[in-house]
Amino acid sequence: MKKIYIAFALFIGLTMNSCKHDDWFYRESKNIISDEQLWNDPNLITSLLANYYNRLPSLHGVFNTGGMTEIDDAMWSGTRDQNGRNDFQYGSDYGRYWDYGLIRDLNLSLDNINTLGVKLTPAQKSLFIGEIRFIRAFVYFEMVKRMGGVPLVTKQMIYDFSGDPTPLQIPRAKESEVYDFIYKELEEIKADLAANNLIKTRANRYTALALESRAMLYAASIAKYNSLMAAPISTPGGEVGIPASMATDYYNKSLTASKEIIAGPYALYNENADKGANFYDMLNKKPVSEVIFAKDFALGTKVHRFTYDNIVKSMTEDNEASSAISPSLSLVESFNYLDGSEGTLKDKDANGNYITYTNPADIFANKDARLFGTVIYPGTSFKNSPVRMQAGVAVYNNGSYQLTTSAVLGANYSDGQTWTGFDGPKDDAVDVSNTGFYIRKMVSDASAASTRGTSAVNWWPWFRLGEIYLNAAEAAFELGRPEGLGYVNSVRARAGFPANSISVLTNDIIRNERRVELAFEDHRYFDLKRWRIAHIVWDGTETDPNAVVMGLYSYRVVRPGHPDNGKYIYARVRPTRFRRARFFRMTNYYSSIAQDVLNNNPKIVRNPFQ
Amino acid sequence: MKLKFLIIFTVAANMFLAGCGYDNFDAPELTLSGRVVYQGNTVSVRNNGPQLELWQDGFPLRSVINVFMNQDGTFSAKLFAGQYKLVRRADAPWLQQATDTIRVNLTANTNLDVPVTPYFTITGESFQKSGDNIIAKLVVNKVVQTANLEFVRLYLGKSILTDHVQYDVRVGANLSNVVLGQQIEIPSGALPDNLKSLDYVYARLGVKSTSAGEYYYTQVQKIALK
Repeated sequence: MKKIYIAFALFIGLTMNSCKHDDWFYRESKNIISDEQLWNDPNLITSLLANYYNRLPSLHGVFNTGGMTEIDDAMWSGTRDQNGRNDFQYGSDYGRYWDYGLIRDLNLSLDNINTLGVKLTPAQKSLFIGEIRFIRAFVYFEMVKRMGGVPLVTKQMIYDFSGDPTPLQIPRAKESEVYDFIYKELEEIKADLAANNLIKTRANRYTALALESRAMLYAASIAKYNSLMAAPISTPGGEVGIPASMATDYYNKSLTASKEIIAGPYALYNENADKGANFYDMLNKKPVSEVIFAKDFALGTKVHRFTYDNIVKSMTEDNEASSAISPSLSLVESFNYLDGSEGTLKDKDANGNYITYTNPADIFANKDARLFGTVIYPGTSFKNSPVRMQAGVAVYNNGSYQLTTSAVLGANYSDGQTWTGFDGPKDDAVDVSNTGFYIRKMVSDASAASTRGTSAVNWWPWFRLGEIYLNAAEAAFELGRPEGLGYVNSVRARAGFPANSISVLTNDIIRNERRVELAFEDHRYFDLKRWRIAHIVWDGTETDPNAVVMGLYSYRVVRPGHPDNGKYIYARVRPTRFRRARFFRMTNYYSSIAQDVLNNNPKIVRNPFQ
Repeated sequence: MKLKFLIIFTVAANMFLAGCGYDNFDAPELTLSGRVVYQGNTVSVRNNGPQLELWQDGFPLRSVINVFMNQDGTFSAKLFAGQYKLVRRADAPWLQQATDTIRVNLTANTNLDVPVTPYFTITGESFQKSGDNIIAKLVVNKVVQTANLEFVRLYLGKSILTDHVQYDVRVGANLSNVVLGQQIEIPSGALPDNLKSLDYVYARLGVKSTSAGEYYYTQVQKIALK
């Protein structure tokens, strides 16, 4: 009986809905955003762009601690399980980047904003389109500088299910064609991006010019220096290799773009009378005058752990790993003395005897102030407290020094004074400098920045004015024009050199300036590649101080009764944890193309040496 | 009770064991071994350096089988029976012959001589010890007529793995004194202290063309110092 009532109630309930108003079924979804909604709402588009900006690619950039320790500027001194960074040779796929997923997303966005974005004002629309095209040009630049010419896909590709995939198989463009594409795109959009000119984290007119300046310089130097090689790296179809005849045009384009930026609203950051601290502040304090395009971070929403990874051992506020990057002696020595002489440190005199110094930092005195801003060396300070670096003591015994180190960091020697400092350096140790140096550049000095709970929020500089000056200098020098000298001297004056410190520019000076000014900013690997000297500098030789990451250990002299007692000497060492010299082979000039890409598209030409 | 348990246990174990046959493959059993030769002489290479490649057609996806080489120019690979293509790739002291593949029909253990064309070769090498000095005598020959000489070098090392990457002494010949096809000498100069006291050192000669990324080496020779 009861069942009848239930069945009746159910029947009523089910039939009650069958009224006329079926638009009830056509309500807008509460949890899906349609394409029409997205491409007509500037706020939604902005948040989609945030996703794309966050996916901008880099090799050793965006606080990639591990990547920074895979070249000659530094070695890895963090956990042992990553010691492979000190013990590898660049594989033929090193730096491989083939991200057509991101390219498709960008192409799809361009198609959709054009067809669906009817409610946007023309200014909004052209700005968004400009930004997406900028990101696409950036991604193509990252691909071409690692892989050579890549297929240029500018529309989304749709399979027609005909059983014939050949319309989807796009061959590689020439290397020069990809650079030309980047230039053409940036030229077309730079005017549209002017509305963003006051924003540092989105593409604006000057960001487009900065990418133009860098990309055209890369194209020009590949055109020039590849052709100067004994056996230029090229493919018959031009997928790899740019003819030397195109170099001048590319250098001109780069110089024009650089000059436009230099004439723009920027200035080299120069607020602090202490030039070393000034250089550090430049990348720590988010200065709007210097940085053209940055990846921003904010407490609580988006942070990075570069400070946690790399802060000086005794200053970490966290309980685990620190001090993963140990900068190399060759980087430290590439910083010249302020009188213009070579930066080689004077650890021994002509007879091979140690030179003694009264204070630990004295050996670094009168050096390029950027050394202070880039590297933490013995006798300096960080966060207003002195670093406690000392490798050990040198006991004078029977006519020579015996160098001894203590088993634990921070122990005292039998004379009651420091034996090995709290901050090392210590050979074959974890989470403490293995080379005698720590990194200062981009390591934040903010409170709690080295904790994983808070972390750091300083900028990653994609483009900054210092690079543009050096781009301009290099392009002008290659074109045989005089203004290059002024650009280099401006950058050096900011680093504490006297005005007009260089009177004759050379290739070596420009290349060394780039190394010291732009260290750890994801330039060196690509710079050596485009100058075609990577295989010479990183020749894999175990005795070559350029290919091997060396260290410099400081020792306190114990020699009672002698004037040198209590002074410091320095010894060059090869850290035990650094196992294999950097070895860049011809095949590394262009990363190999993945086999699945070759399988899927028979029109793709392999890279040379692959 | 115990018997029942044993029966169940045995049956269960058999069922589990039987399952293994379905998802395990036999390991490849055939060995393709051989050496890289030029005019009958083995071409020796850098340790952990040049490689050969094997490819096999007939499968939907192609993927390379890397064949690593010993520094004396020999190699071996464990393979299944089948048709393979062997490729002499670049990044080696010989000409790239990527399209000129060697077909290998593997039905039994096979020994294969892979002919290559080095840019330069070294012949007639000999090492002499005189005092603290080791003098190498050698003849450099050009094979590829368009190639240019970049380095002719003598390497001395403590270990049998001695090459451009791993060595203790490296001496380059003055290229202006190198006459192709004629005997030249490279003296090592006085040995450094860390080698002088040893019973023996290993010596090797290498020649590099500007067109190649790798050196053509001679076989490592052990030289008694005492």
